[in-house]
Amino acid sequence: MIPAKRLLGEIAASLREVIAPAVSAPYPKSQAYMAAVILDFVARQIEERPDTAAGKRTAIDGAFDELGQMPQLADLVSRCAPTEEGMSHLIELLYSERERLGEETFALANRTIRAALRHLLDEDLKVAGKGE
Amino acid sequence: MRVETTPEAVRDYLQTKLPAARNLALSNFVQTAGGWSHEIHVFDAAWEENGRPVRRGFCLRKDPGAALLRDLSNLEEQFRVLKALEATAVPAPKPYWYEADPSILGGPFLVMEKVEGEAPNPWSRAGKRFYAEAASRGKLPASFVEALASLHNLDWRAAGLEFLGVPGPGRDFALGEIAKWERLVAASIRKPEPVLTEIIAWLRANAPETRRLAFVHGAFRTGNLMIKDDSVAAIIDWELQVIGDPMYDVAYVLSDLNREGSPLLSCVVERQFFLDTYRRLTGLEVDLEACRYYEILYMMRSAAFWLSASGLFAEGKNRDLRLARTTYSVPVVLDMAARALGF
Repeated sequence: MIPAKRLLGEIAASLREVIAPAVSAPYPKSQAYMAAVILDFVARQIEERPDTAAGKRTAIDGAFDELGQMPQLADLVSRCAPTEEGMSHLIELLYSERERLGEETFALANRTIRAALRHLLDEDLKVAGKGE
Repeated sequence: MRVETTPEAVRDYLQTKLPAARNLALSNFVQTAGGWSHEIHVFDAAWEENGRPVRRGFCLRKDPGAALLRDLSNLEEQFRVLKALEATAVPAPKPYWYEADPSILGGPFLVMEKVEGEAPNPWSRAGKRFYAEAASRGKLPASFVEALASLHNLDWRAAGLEFLGVPGPGRDFALGEIAKWERLVAASIRKPEPVLTEIIAWLRANAPETRRLAFVHGAFRTGNLMIKDDSVAAIIDWELQVIGDPMYDVAYVLSDLNREGSPLLSCVVERQFFLDTYRRLTGLEVDLEACRYYEILYMMRSAAFWLSASGLFAEGKNRDLRLARTTYSVPVVLDMAARALGF
């Protein structure tokens, strides 16, 4: 996601450079400029939510631990870092090795992965306004 | 030097295309708020030709560069499609000219007929009301299905649309669509998004076979149709058309993505009426299983759109705040796809 400070800066710039100049009536024009000024102050007050990154970290670590304990998957798991990028790589490996792993092992691994993905999504949805 | 799409620049261009026109003047020159991939300008032109007054409405679509579909946006292809459709039963705007030369208006552009009518946004309150009222009168739902049937009944080879690329047999069409949207994702984000990776891997593993090829619009819904007198005057937004599975369009009509709370498909047509009328007009049975698959593909495609849009903004290539807003749409469409897949 785009960092909140960056977005606020861009909204302030749009208010200043696009919206306010296009408004001819003096009162709404001054309101648009003032909104830009206030947003600059607000941007200095905010921080990104630390709980989102922590929640994702926990979900990924949990999935990698669980999958790493399955003997048929240990090799695949060891080839991927426990990060979002590594999880993407692991998903691709699981699908490409599906036949060799067998349907039962694949389904088990896929279930674990999907449970972790649900946690990742829920963390993003908290910010997107649908999760809390 | 950046060249803007000003009325003066457009008038000068038009004069070169209409050399017999005297006293050429433009009016009602408006850049519309719609259009995520192209700037859209509509205007009226009036001139004298052989001593007689002429008035004509035009619509100009310009590729501003660094827009939603990135390299997938191709105005020349759109122009060729519109030319190919001119002599067919598909309601579409008449195309006039395509220009690749960026020195004229700052980017490639095409000029086509300004179709009379309106295409209300179905997500707005006013749009929802417009379509609900039209649906209750009964004429527009039938016209909506007839427009879709005109696409799927088209002899696309005879119309000269093979240049769009013809998928091979079996799963080639679905796999090709997945690959296309994967390319947009790859161009848009620096590191993979695991939820999207899982959805794409599932789509690849479960791609359906295409039983019949048709000319497919790729975004057939209200909002992409010009409506006049409760009828579809023209199908617009020719950006995603392909030769492919007609169920791809049908799935888009059936999808919840396009009706946000309305009980009507695409906010305008009852489901059973749509299915019955489509079958009667095309002779095709709707394959609901394939449609469910394509609906998930559309969710993936939406995620690709929004990743592209927010990526352009994050990269500083486009400062349109509408693109920034889509950063919050990505998890929402991924959530829809994940729930459809059972997680």
